[in-house]
Amino acid sequence: MSIFIQIFLRSLETGSVYALAALGIILVFRTSNITNFSQGALGMFNTFVVVSIFNNFGVPLWVAIIGGLISALLIGMMIDLVIIRHTKKVSPVAKQIITLGLIMILVRLAPIFFGVDPLNLPRLIPEGNLTLVGANISYNGLFNILFGLMVMGGLFYILQYTKVGLAIRTTASNEYTARLMGVPTKTVTLGAWAVGSMLGVISGVMIAPTTTVTLNLMDVVQINAFVAAVLGGFQTFYGPVVGAYIIGVVSNLLLFYVSPVWGGQILYVLILLFLTVRPYGLFGKKVVKKV
Amino acid sequence: MMLENNELLKIEALSIQFGGLKAVDQLSFTIHEKEIFGLIGPNGAGKTTVFNCITQFYKPNHGNIYFRNIKDEVINLVDLKVHQVIRQGVVRTFQNVELIRELSILDNVLIGAHIDYKTGVISQALRLPKAVKEEAIYKAKAEEILKKLGIYERKDMLVFGQPYGILKKVELARTFMSDPKLVILDEPAAGLNDVETLQLAKTIRQIRDDFNCSVLLVEHDMRLVMDVCDTICAINFGKFLAQGTAKDIQKNPLVQEAYLGKEEHDE
Amino acid sequence: MKKIKIAFKPWMGFVLFGIALALIPLLAEYTTFVKSSTIITIGGTVIFAIAALGLNILLGYSGLISLGTAGFMGLAAYLSAYMTVDLGLPFEVSLIVAVLVPTLIGVLVGLISLKIEGMYLAIATLAVSEILRKTFEEFEFITNGFSGKSARFPQLLGFIQLDRASTYYLIVVVLVIAMLLTYNMMNGQVGRAFNAMRGSESAASAMGVYSLKYRLIAFALATILASLAGVMYVHFIRFAYPSTWNLKLSLDFLAMIVIGGLRSIYGTVLGAFIVFAIPDLFLKQIPFFNQLSYVLNGVLIIEVIMFYPSGLINIGFDIKRLWLKLRKGIHDAGK
Repeated sequence: MSIFIQIFLRSLETGSVYALAALGIILVFRTSNITNFSQGALGMFNTFVVVSIFNNFGVPLWVAIIGGLISALLIGMMIDLVIIRHTKKVSPVAKQIITLGLIMILVRLAPIFFGVDPLNLPRLIPEGNLTLVGANISYNGLFNILFGLMVMGGLFYILQYTKVGLAIRTTASNEYTARLMGVPTKTVTLGAWAVGSMLGVISGVMIAPTTTVTLNLMDVVQINAFVAAVLGGFQTFYGPVVGAYIIGVVSNLLLFYVSPVWGGQILYVLILLFLTVRPYGLFGKKVVKKV
Repeated sequence: MMLENNELLKIEALSIQFGGLKAVDQLSFTIHEKEIFGLIGPNGAGKTTVFNCITQFYKPNHGNIYFRNIKDEVINLVDLKVHQVIRQGVVRTFQNVELIRELSILDNVLIGAHIDYKTGVISQALRLPKAVKEEAIYKAKAEEILKKLGIYERKDMLVFGQPYGILKKVELARTFMSDPKLVILDEPAAGLNDVETLQLAKTIRQIRDDFNCSVLLVEHDMRLVMDVCDTICAINFGKFLAQGTAKDIQKNPLVQEAYLGKEEHDE
Repeated sequence: MKKIKIAFKPWMGFVLFGIALALIPLLAEYTTFVKSSTIITIGGTVIFAIAALGLNILLGYSGLISLGTAGFMGLAAYLSAYMTVDLGLPFEVSLIVAVLVPTLIGVLVGLISLKIEGMYLAIATLAVSEILRKTFEEFEFITNGFSGKSARFPQLLGFIQLDRASTYYLIVVVLVIAMLLTYNMMNGQVGRAFNAMRGSESAASAMGVYSLKYRLIAFALATILASLAGVMYVHFIRFAYPSTWNLKLSLDFLAMIVIGGLRSIYGTVLGAFIVFAIPDLFLKQIPFFNQLSYVLNGVLIIEVIMFYPSGLINIGFDIKRLWLKLRKGIHDAGK
């Protein structure tokens, strides 16, 4: 039982990482209709920024993280201002290629700026464990879970209960109508890219201490975030987040109880089978075309 | 035998509902061979739903749709899937013209011959003589139809950017590639100007004679319907109102009421 | 007098194109203009063009997206390497098996595609590709895991041992045949059915196009070409790592066909050159910028999408139209 709880807590930690990335993807997707394949690359690049500020300037880690957030904000806004804003006539598939171009740029610039050696990022809370019903979780892990929930809770509050949130939701449901009604859709898209990019670096900083900071830092996160978006459905903001936690929990359970080698593959097969039954994910609905 | 000698399509107690709404309710009518049959009704009367039931885009909840197919067997269309309907000799057009914009007019028409091809992927990929010959036969057939409809000169142009009247004709041409016994036209006059509508009436009669088929048309434009149809069936709220010749329908008080409303009818 | 006129047939174009590609190694041998490392780059590009052609059938013609190309290509590569090296099977046999197995999986994905559409299909195919990639990492028995699997240049009919240059010719021949067959199929009944499926699902089914059948055919064709490319890759590069077959590579294929031009056969090859060969062949030659060559390529890809969203292959028509306009302008001015 305690092992189960242990796994469950760990899963919540990975789940929050996936969830933050998935939320970044869905924010951008719903406001600018772009499947952002560069979400991971953005997170990776800005995590490098955090590490190099931390290593080179001798500042506390949280200061370095704020530096990374600012860099993420600026890069996210720049992407929208320089590129995305000017692609109104471009088809959705071609827009995906733009994010591929962004990956190429970010992945190749990173070694030029930050060198080719893998770097290490310490935990924000270096030590200490909490014991809960026989299960252990580090304070850092607990902090990650709670901080992830806080960030997402805050964003959902803004989405649901504020004027800004209303503007975002209107843009998401119909960009054209939103513009006619005077919603500043351009600013909404700009904000979505900025926030999406910042969510990327948060998930990057959370996952970094468990591994080394390399160009592939976010590969797994990126793909699981996408699968989470499909599992939860692209039509709501909360679907992908729920999907991300499910993936976090189920994959760890499968890896432990079924097979450490095949767990990941089994999870994906299960999700594929689920999609054949519910093609628009947990919370999505089919849009019927009239003839 | 479900169908009499010269009966082609018999709809029997057709019902379909969406949610709680009965879109078509116990509707029955019969179309004869070589007949031009009009289905009319005010907006939202369920005309297009009837179409979609015949062509199996919708599955009716109740009722039968008997049809005398190309092989002269009587079948129930309800038992079929959408893509199988054309093989029986029923083919349709669409209200909002469904053509492939990136293909030429000729290629769009050739899609109508899809089911007639006997050669498979491999013989087509290798351009085996039989595949080349087959393609040539249907190309010639398509060109012939385009000539009849008077748009032959445009055959190699892309569909994209063509005027609406031409698009409607291309859709018509596409339906005739399969040598249908029944052509179903969904609001063919929608979006056409007066001259084009007049021309359309002529075309519909001409195609009935040239291609030896029946035509079922759903239409808003009363002049076209009254002008061209042998028999007209009026429906409202998915229910049968009246059936008869153009004159009968015009005089029918139920139809007048459905179109004009009660008060206006009083004055 | 009777004039003998030879009509220019499309297949002649493909053959000429193949001959031009085949001349490159000769140039490398007899001139200093082309370096011999260029052959590897161009050979790789031609291989990627074969797989991209399959994706163009799927996305361009049939409107079905896939982010699984890399996984299928990798599967074929490993299978062929395993069968020729470990099992000692003839190249031809392993080629057939290495194409058949991924194609069966591809057809299964085609079944899924009946239910799942658009973005959902893209991510579902990505999941399939990820399942394959993880399997490459774990299934060391066949793939040799992270250390990578090596293979040899192909041996044809059991006694014709190819070297790098002749393998390159083989790859070019495969590409030309693939282009030719694709052209034939896409300009006939099957291609029209694909187009109809993409352009209007309702019109397609009303005209009797059985969408299950044609989706399966489309996925089968795309997987066959991806697998062929995988086999050629492993016997030309002679090495395969699990990390090669990732999301980035699948996106590269997508970029090739979008940049070159959807539904354009030559455009696919052009796209492959832009995405894969340009950094190696040209951008690296620019002084001071050689480190940035891939960054520049990313910028180039974004620029092309922004300013030429319909595909670079159309640039010819546009230049011609501009030229006619200009000439007309000059003509009018002359009056």
